[in-house]
Amino acid sequence: MKLSLNWLKDYIDPKLSTDELVERLTMAGLEVETVESVGGDAVLEIEVTPNRPDCLSILGLAREIGAITDKAVKGPKTKTPKTAVLKNLIHIENKEDCSRYIGTLIRDAQIKDASALMKQRLASLGINAINNAVDITNFVLMEMGQPLHVFDHDKLAGGKVIVRRAKEGESIVTLDGIERKLDPSILVIADSIKPVAIAGIMGGQATEITGKTKNILLESAHFDMGLIRRATRTLGLRTDSSYRFERDVNFEGVLTGADRATELLLQLTAGHLAGRGESLAKPKGTSPKVKVKMADIGSLLGTEVTCVKAKTWLARLGFNVRVSSAALMVTPPNNRADIRQDVDVIEEIARMIGFDRLDSKMPLVKAVNIPVDKRPREIKDNVRRVLTAGGIDEIITHSMINTKMLVKSNMAEIKAVRIFNPLNQDQELMRPSMLPSMLQAALTNINRGQKDLRFFEIGKRYFLDGEKETLGILLTGRRSQDWRLSKKDTVEFFDLKGVLERIFQSIGVYPLYETNQFVVLDPGCATSIMLNGKYLGSFGKVDRSILKNWDIKNQDVYFAGVHLDEIYPLPGKPLKYQAISEFPAIVRDVSLAVKKEVSYEKIEEICAKQGGDILRSVRFIEQYLGDKIQPGYKGLVFSCQYQSNSKTLREDEVSALHECILQALVRDLGAIRR
Amino acid sequence: MQWDFQDIHHQAQTEAQAIDSLQALEAFRLKYLGKKGVVAAVFASLGQAEPGQKAAIGKGANDLRSLVEGLIAEKQTQVNAAKAQGELVDISLPGTGGAVGRTHILTQTMQEIVAVFEQMGFVAVETPETETEFHNFTGLNIPIDHPSRDAFDTFYLDAPDASARGRRLLLRSHTSPGQVRIMKEHKPPLAVIVPGRVYRPDAVDASHSFMFHQVEGLLVDEKVQFSELKGLLTEFCRRFFGPKVIMRFRPHFFPFTEPSAEVDINAEILGIQRKKWLEILGCGMVNPKVFEAVGYPKGKYKGFAFGMGVERMAMLKYGINDIRLFYENDVRFLKQF
Repeated sequence: MKLSLNWLKDYIDPKLSTDELVERLTMAGLEVETVESVGGDAVLEIEVTPNRPDCLSILGLAREIGAITDKAVKGPKTKTPKTAVLKNLIHIENKEDCSRYIGTLIRDAQIKDASALMKQRLASLGINAINNAVDITNFVLMEMGQPLHVFDHDKLAGGKVIVRRAKEGESIVTLDGIERKLDPSILVIADSIKPVAIAGIMGGQATEITGKTKNILLESAHFDMGLIRRATRTLGLRTDSSYRFERDVNFEGVLTGADRATELLLQLTAGHLAGRGESLAKPKGTSPKVKVKMADIGSLLGTEVTCVKAKTWLARLGFNVRVSSAALMVTPPNNRADIRQDVDVIEEIARMIGFDRLDSKMPLVKAVNIPVDKRPREIKDNVRRVLTAGGIDEIITHSMINTKMLVKSNMAEIKAVRIFNPLNQDQELMRPSMLPSMLQAALTNINRGQKDLRFFEIGKRYFLDGEKETLGILLTGRRSQDWRLSKKDTVEFFDLKGVLERIFQSIGVYPLYETNQFVVLDPGCATSIMLNGKYLGSFGKVDRSILKNWDIKNQDVYFAGVHLDEIYPLPGKPLKYQAISEFPAIVRDVSLAVKKEVSYEKIEEICAKQGGDILRSVRFIEQYLGDKIQPGYKGLVFSCQYQSNSKTLREDEVSALHECILQALVRDLGAIRR
Repeated sequence: MQWDFQDIHHQAQTEAQAIDSLQALEAFRLKYLGKKGVVAAVFASLGQAEPGQKAAIGKGANDLRSLVEGLIAEKQTQVNAAKAQGELVDISLPGTGGAVGRTHILTQTMQEIVAVFEQMGFVAVETPETETEFHNFTGLNIPIDHPSRDAFDTFYLDAPDASARGRRLLLRSHTSPGQVRIMKEHKPPLAVIVPGRVYRPDAVDASHSFMFHQVEGLLVDEKVQFSELKGLLTEFCRRFFGPKVIMRFRPHFFPFTEPSAEVDINAEILGIQRKKWLEILGCGMVNPKVFEAVGYPKGKYKGFAFGMGVERMAMLKYGINDIRLFYENDVRFLKQF
């Protein structure tokens, strides 16, 4: 809402500098966003909150300033003229849509330019002058907050107006020259044939006031706020009128607005009053009384307020206050529909005191009885710690993706949750996977020449049955380089596997890794993470076809998706001290050649089976894939640690057991000793 | 035989300077003091020397011996000291192991906000991003067709709300639905903090994003006062922005609180000149209508609630001028925090 200080001074002189006024208004809840100087005038842009439609006019703001500064407001005195009652002028089909409509007929008006002062007043608020009749409606709208409209009465078929819903297929050319399609959700003002205005939003071109207009029908009405709001959305059209109707105009203001505009029209167009028709749904409502216990003021604000002071402040706001046995009986003015509960009144008192003058002290925070599962947080904290320590940066990407990103990631088949009213097609889906948005982040960096990327994100994936918290890890480009080594390595499968192993170790969960098939991963090393038959996620090398789709060239990308939601319920391995053996360990290295398809896991299994109590651990040392071994075979080197908790092992007993293990490996896996 | 002792002295000194190991030192000793060394050769030449020169040669040999012995002693100390130090290392070369990874600045900021309230006794609870109209609007005293909804424009999902016929699920437009969920399930005393992701269909620019993060706070008990809301948030701002922070509480409107306020902090302390005051959060006393919606007995409880934007807090604190930087994830941005 714009406030011209020159215009304001027609009703009140706050005797404050502009800066002081800005400060006082802001601290009373009418935040001044900008101050603009316009030819000797200062115009404030004020954010009026939706609970204060009474402040959407110069007079409304003058009253508020009067209350803040304790100064009197001199508003225009309006008088309801004695005139003929025109019974057939107005017809309202449904009084829930339109609870009040006053039509005033003025004949023999002269349409010309409005006075320079009126034009200046309107211009200061950014409103263009049209002609005296239209300018008067805009002037009264801004002065009192009552939206008004004027019709050329001679152009109304049947000489009357009907307030009704638009019919299917009807349309109207509005004052801005645009033809608008109407439907029964939209309330219109019609003559006997067609809609002549969209109620509360904008008039029609066919019945507008022109230089040739003689007879004017002035509309002052109250339309249902929800109806107007929905219509503005349907039509995509918001005006100064609809803005106020949406926030609800004052039922009483319909009459004062009509009276004020009538008076100005008679004065400035030299017309004469031919009569008035009114349709009224509800009897004049009085504002409800609100009871406020004095004790409740202090106990809500934490600042004691005396009865006298409370009464004084409320009276300044135009509230009627009666004091009865430690309580205030408060009747707010009829334009303050926001005052219905005792807390509403207490807020007004607090606002008048000034929030900054209220006491401030620390609250007593009691222990809260909400069972909080600390495991998810513990897991997320560990994940962040392990990953950042490993040089991996956390990213945060959008939860929304588009179909193209999904298709490019070979996930066209996945049914993602759709957004019903997306902002644009770029954000039409809720992501069902972390991969597309993480690839997007990688691509953004690669395109800027940053190709060595180590990213993780803890975020959600979205499905019709809920949100699933997920960890995504993406590695690509060179491994963190050790300048002492001449070889420049890029990240690979085991870097990612190592990261995952460290995470699981840190949270005390020990899953198994199984070869699997996924549409997004290269089948050579696609791995699923399993625990007790439960699927916890997958990882591997992102399939080349996907990288091609994303235009990521010359570098492999490794990706892991870990379903944190599935891990949260898993208890960590209980921590319990294990005695450290006092006896020495004997370590034996083993070098074998096995067929390439034999997995190392099998070797560990056989060792464990044969090794009994004293085989403490099997430690992998290296893999050899070169040509110094027979074709189809790979070399594996590992060591076996033997140790007892109760005695020093003898060489011969370890040798016998070790030989036993080796023989089993040869027998069961076809291993060749090297 | 003629000896140019000056030249020999000079050569011995030059050679001694180059000695950097015990081996070199031993070679030097042998060269001059060994059985076939220079000093021995000089003494040996005495036999054939002219009688008049013998004294000079003898003195020359003795002088050379003491010079070399002196040089050896000096070098011995130096070489031993160097040996104790180990090999000389260019310590200005970089260490290995690569840069540490960073937690995203939004995560850090959120964790910092949450930590301040946890230290004051609040409990952090997360609630879903996918919400119902009841939790996001109705329960918070925001009627469906009302201008008070303008500030909470909302994305709807193509998914039905099982709890309300004909209505769709939505993406929460603020973290306040967390209040409704928590109060529906738990009885006071409550002191909770709800961090999370929220969505609004705002066109993206330097200060708007369709996705952002908020932290919501709620305290409910039988006796809770506005003065305590002021006290708590003042303490929060001191801990988050530093003890010199200057704040003001300005009346505002939120459907779910009454009285409602916005908190501004003085821009100067953050080195911001374009404005005098910067809005940082919204707050107020829980509207009795919200207590009614969650089924609390009428008049029994009072409470306060507050909410703040994590992006905004991070932008103010770290001087970040474009909200899009948070989601772009340029490593040059990520590595700064």
